[in-house]
Amino acid sequence: MSGGIEAVYIFDQHNNPILEHVYYSRPLAARDILPLYLAHPEPRPPLIYLPNTNPPTLVFSLIHDQLLFISPASVDTEPLLVLEFLHRVVDVLEEFLGAPLLASKIEGAYDVVAQLFLEMCDAGTVCNTEPNALRDFVDVPGWVGKLLGGVGLPVSSPALGSSSGSLSLQRQHGLAPSSTSTPALPWRRSNVRHTSNEIYVDIVETLSVILAPSGRPLSAFANGSIACTAKVSGVPDLLLTLTAPGGKAGLDKTLELPVFHPCVRLARWREQPGVLSFVPPDGRFMLAGYEVDLLPNTTGKGMNSASSLHLPASVEMKTSLGLNGADFEARLLLSTNFPSSATAGSLGAGARGGGISSRLGNSSPAFGGSSNQPLLEAIVVTIPIPSSVRNLTDLRASRGEAHYSPGDKAVEWRVSAKEAVLPNGTGGATLRCTVVGPLSEDDDNDLDSGFRLTADTVDYNEDTYQTSSLANATDNAASSKQNEQRDLRRIQLNKTLMPSSAAVSFTVKGWLPSGIRVDSLVINTRTSKGLGEGVKPYKGVKYLTVSKQGVETRC
Amino acid sequence: MESISKISSMLETARDLTLEAAQSAGSARAFKTNTPLRKIPPLQLKKLLDSRNDRDVLEGLRKVISMMYRSQPCLTYFSAVIKNVASANVEIKKLVYIYLLQYAETEPDLALLSINTIQKSLSDKDPQLRALALMVMSGIRVPVISQIVSLGIKKGCGDMNIHVRRAAALAIPKCYRLDPNTLPQLIEYLNILLGDKQYYVAGAAVMAFMDVCPHRIDLIHKHYRGLIRKLVDMDEWSQLATLRLMVYYARKCFPRRKRKVKKNAAKDFYGDEVGDDNDETEEIQVLDSDLELLLNACKSLLQSHNSAVVIAVARCYFYLAPPEYIDAAVGPLISLLRGSQDIKHIALYNIVSICLVRPNPFVRYVTHFLIHATDPPHVWRLKLEILTILFPHCNALFKGMILSELEHFSRGSDRELVRESVRSIGRCAQNDSATSQRCLRLLLKQVSSTDGNLVAESLTVIRHLIQQDPASHIKTVIRLAKNLDTTTNAHARASIIWLVGEFAGIDPENNIAADVLRILAKGFVHEPEAAKLQIVLLAAKVYVHHLNRLGGTIQPPLAPSQLSDANNDGNTLPLGDDKETDAEGQTVDVNPYLYDSVARASLPQNEGDGEHPIIILWRYILLLARYDTSYDIRDRARLYKSLLANPASTQLASLLLLAPKPVPHAPSPSEYRKDFMLGSASLAVGEEGGLNGLRGYEPPPDWVEDGTQPDAALRQEDYRAEFGGEKKITTAGERLDEAAKTAAASSGSAINPGMNGVGVGTGRPSKAKTLDDWLAEDEDEGEEEESGDEEEDESEEGSEEEEGEEDEEEEEEEEETESEEEHDRLVK
Repeated sequence: MSGGIEAVYIFDQHNNPILEHVYYSRPLAARDILPLYLAHPEPRPPLIYLPNTNPPTLVFSLIHDQLLFISPASVDTEPLLVLEFLHRVVDVLEEFLGAPLLASKIEGAYDVVAQLFLEMCDAGTVCNTEPNALRDFVDVPGWVGKLLGGVGLPVSSPALGSSSGSLSLQRQHGLAPSSTSTPALPWRRSNVRHTSNEIYVDIVETLSVILAPSGRPLSAFANGSIACTAKVSGVPDLLLTLTAPGGKAGLDKTLELPVFHPCVRLARWREQPGVLSFVPPDGRFMLAGYEVDLLPNTTGKGMNSASSLHLPASVEMKTSLGLNGADFEARLLLSTNFPSSATAGSLGAGARGGGISSRLGNSSPAFGGSSNQPLLEAIVVTIPIPSSVRNLTDLRASRGEAHYSPGDKAVEWRVSAKEAVLPNGTGGATLRCTVVGPLSEDDDNDLDSGFRLTADTVDYNEDTYQTSSLANATDNAASSKQNEQRDLRRIQLNKTLMPSSAAVSFTVKGWLPSGIRVDSLVINTRTSKGLGEGVKPYKGVKYLTVSKQGVETRC
Repeated sequence: MESISKISSMLETARDLTLEAAQSAGSARAFKTNTPLRKIPPLQLKKLLDSRNDRDVLEGLRKVISMMYRSQPCLTYFSAVIKNVASANVEIKKLVYIYLLQYAETEPDLALLSINTIQKSLSDKDPQLRALALMVMSGIRVPVISQIVSLGIKKGCGDMNIHVRRAAALAIPKCYRLDPNTLPQLIEYLNILLGDKQYYVAGAAVMAFMDVCPHRIDLIHKHYRGLIRKLVDMDEWSQLATLRLMVYYARKCFPRRKRKVKKNAAKDFYGDEVGDDNDETEEIQVLDSDLELLLNACKSLLQSHNSAVVIAVARCYFYLAPPEYIDAAVGPLISLLRGSQDIKHIALYNIVSICLVRPNPFVRYVTHFLIHATDPPHVWRLKLEILTILFPHCNALFKGMILSELEHFSRGSDRELVRESVRSIGRCAQNDSATSQRCLRLLLKQVSSTDGNLVAESLTVIRHLIQQDPASHIKTVIRLAKNLDTTTNAHARASIIWLVGEFAGIDPENNIAADVLRILAKGFVHEPEAAKLQIVLLAAKVYVHHLNRLGGTIQPPLAPSQLSDANNDGNTLPLGDDKETDAEGQTVDVNPYLYDSVARASLPQNEGDGEHPIIILWRYILLLARYDTSYDIRDRARLYKSLLANPASTQLASLLLLAPKPVPHAPSPSEYRKDFMLGSASLAVGEEGGLNGLRGYEPPPDWVEDGTQPDAALRQEDYRAEFGGEKKITTAGERLDEAAKTAAASSGSAINPGMNGVGVGTGRPSKAKTLDDWLAEDEDEGEEEESGDEEEDESEEGSEEEEGEEDEEEEEEEEETESEEEHDRLVK
């Protein structure tokens, strides 16, 4: 279990190796591993064991933005160590090369990538994965630096001239700042300078809800992540206060199982839940993660006032409709009357709204108004179709477009929220389709029933033992019965072709199901260093609810 | 916690991403065409590398590095690249280093040319360059330089700068891989670095320790408390190594002590109060105070954003602490399920493993394990397992939820999922007798389904359930027999027929077995083979029961054992699994003589009885089987025929056919792998990795026996020990060394007993000095100013030290100590 990272291989979307970095020992080469990895049927687990290679190899894999990251190991290695490392590699590469991570970007900046790989792991021992610390060690040459600036990542202050130039100058004189001082804060690089000091907070909650066929929720969770972009000079000490409906006690109850970036002072949180005190890394980072149980009553953790579950979108399924029971119907239910949106308007409007719109100027201007009215977008209903279904005919959607071609695993039905939502905030749409089963079924039918009908109809009473007399039905009665049976049988057969669930994906900007809000974000001027007087860097907060097939209805 | 890249991608709209992707793809293409990356002629590239202009060299190096990563041959540029190692430009230096690390092994002789320059960098003014040089030098895989590397590490250990000391720590495993003979020296360096006051260095030292000599716990004793204190501050990767070390260390050093405690005081054992009102006593694990220190230090790591750390803490609690501790880790374990799919998958393996031992704390999180349609097979398999493990511990509400969940999935279209959910229902029923009726009803509902796969699975599970409590299931069997009319799946039919046969003996006046046989006989020809085999078996059973009833008065003597030997091949199994008992053990005595006589006597009797429908049926089935196309069936029929040839002696046949069947017990699928250590890859791979785990797997060691553990006083920290080196408490071995040294010191004229380099030669094999060593030493002299405050700890190593340096050095040390303190202030 004391193994390390033996190597990292990266493949592009066509499975061509674009990077091979071997750290130690002699692992299988990238070109040898790839076919073995691909031989494993999809979906491939993150850890595959190849007992027949020499040496027997564990293959850890991760797919990000169509790039495949593989790390082989020939001895027992903690799987999570390797996987976490691969995740960090992705994060760091994105930080230095810009998101989204593309094969061409890696290929264009091999020298940067090489330095990063050299720093991140030393002969198999993972040593430095903090992007800020790496920034101190790895120079970003000119044009990648421009790229960095282009995607909004801070590259030191422009007042100091180009970063690489000044840094390497300092180093040649033995004055590199990092070298003389110990890394008091391993996650924050030294001498951060920004002309405009800005901090943005993004809270994203991912919904994960399962509804029973009756529409009753079985489980409903929102997985929250607080991402933070800090571009502040010096060493700022920040204090972020969160609120939730129900006051302090409410927050404690809503925000469960929190996970924090190492910069967060845990003691402060324990004293006062909802208060995050931290010195941020420079740039973008995940401040915290948490979980919200949207059905607090069922798990027996006490009553909560906000117990009713509000879903902006959900589906209702009806299966085995029509003459042969071959139809099914999905009803999309939308509701944009967000329970907490009224308060959101009063709190979030004004200065913050301005901050948000200025920041998102490059993406979508429609977003600016989102703090006033939550915006439901990108609604997609996904209905997984059993593999035995040959085709779907008659896709009839009352709104939006539905797609299915034979061989697909699911129907995708896109609905535009603008069309579907009525002025009163509710709305919906329906989709109906017919399932076509495998061809051979009907032929089999006779064979099967052949066996059944030759056998005598026998009826055992459960309590006593009796045999009914032989079947005495006349021929024509039997045939009509046979037809009836065949219909019944067909309905039964079609039943196995029905989808068993449907899921909705959507995003809501400006609303969180948990009702958590950022109350304030202030800089503690006493403990902060290197920040000018009167700087108020807090620029805005963005709330986003995402469901990636997260609202699932059984049927 | 989700990775930042994932959250970012959610925040950016899809349109932006694709736009940017297109843009950058375009720019990359432009970049490629502008600078012909692939087509650059070798000569020109060489020219670039040979250029005096840093810019050109850099350009050339970038090309070479690109070629290297594309696995294009670029060994031809080796000398041209290596020449630039002396460049003053940091960036050039780094790129050369990267190239060197990759190819040094293939060109060892040329690589050696660069060693000198790198060695010079070890005493560069810039600590970052020193660290880099140390890292690269130790990474060059050329064994002959192992001694130079070792010296470099030694120098690094004493460096003022923590980056250099950290690099020294990380270089230790590399040096060990280069030449395992350097181990004794390396262990000394480790000893120094483990005691470093900076967590940044100590953490790296632990990683090196785990790599080089994970079992030398004698090195840890005096650093134990220090390491525990630094644990919270270390970076996540060092935390992992430290936690791994601590499981081993604690098992080896803290014996499990039990204490009888009054029951109601069970919760007070953290404090000092022990109530004494109640008489009930309970055995409780008593924690060593040092172990408690570790367990409490772990607690704050549970909120780490690194999933591996959370698992490592859970592992500490699981293997070291009383069971209550693990409860604190359950929440954080559940929070791992929020992470990405891959982390979730591995976390689930560990959760299953803990669940099997301690399910209760997980019950409140049961809704987290409901299956989503998007879960891949490897995830839902584990989730189903957890649901079934938790099932008996849940309240009625959750039980209902789990069952309807399983029912829902058993009606799905995914064959694997159907099978697994039906099996899960079976496991639920088996572990919780109160609900087994409900589970059975659920399964019986499935039997009439058109999905043969589902029916077969359900029946197998039903059979298991019935076997657990046959008496109350007579009606169930009758109901199942009715299903024979409609069921077409071969295995399903076989299962039902076998069950009917098992129940053939109960309530002889009112048994359906013979009638079922009659009906089945009609359709025998059309039956699938598995069912035919069972029909033949059923016929034999019915016949035996009939004979037993008839011959109730004639007690046939015991059967000959040779016969049973020959036939006892377990062929009566319904579905080929091995649930049958061995009939061999039950045959008792042999009396062929008696057997013969009785047989002869009884034969006419039975024949006279003649033509009972069961006998006719039996003959008919035998006849059908005799001309069957399957030799297996013919063979089986022949076996039963000869077994039952003599109607008077049914003892052997009864033994063989009517043997009581053991109750099948379906273990949870992960039961077999739960012994693997939490967090290991062996746990995730399971049986595929072999019984003893994968290569390199080590199970947690057994608890040390009370009384044989190392003295707790060894862990006593003496602050002066870190500086003074004389008063420190050491292991017995070290004490011996010390004694030898002081003896040498008193005889010799050394002023400082810690620095008596010469006497040490008696203790360890003296090294033959190579020319390189001498050279390195010369450099050492010039660089002594770099060495840090731990110099004295190295005293045992001191064979290469010159005595003359001492005075000068001590002065230096004072200075260094001051500056070191300054660092600390900065840190604080």
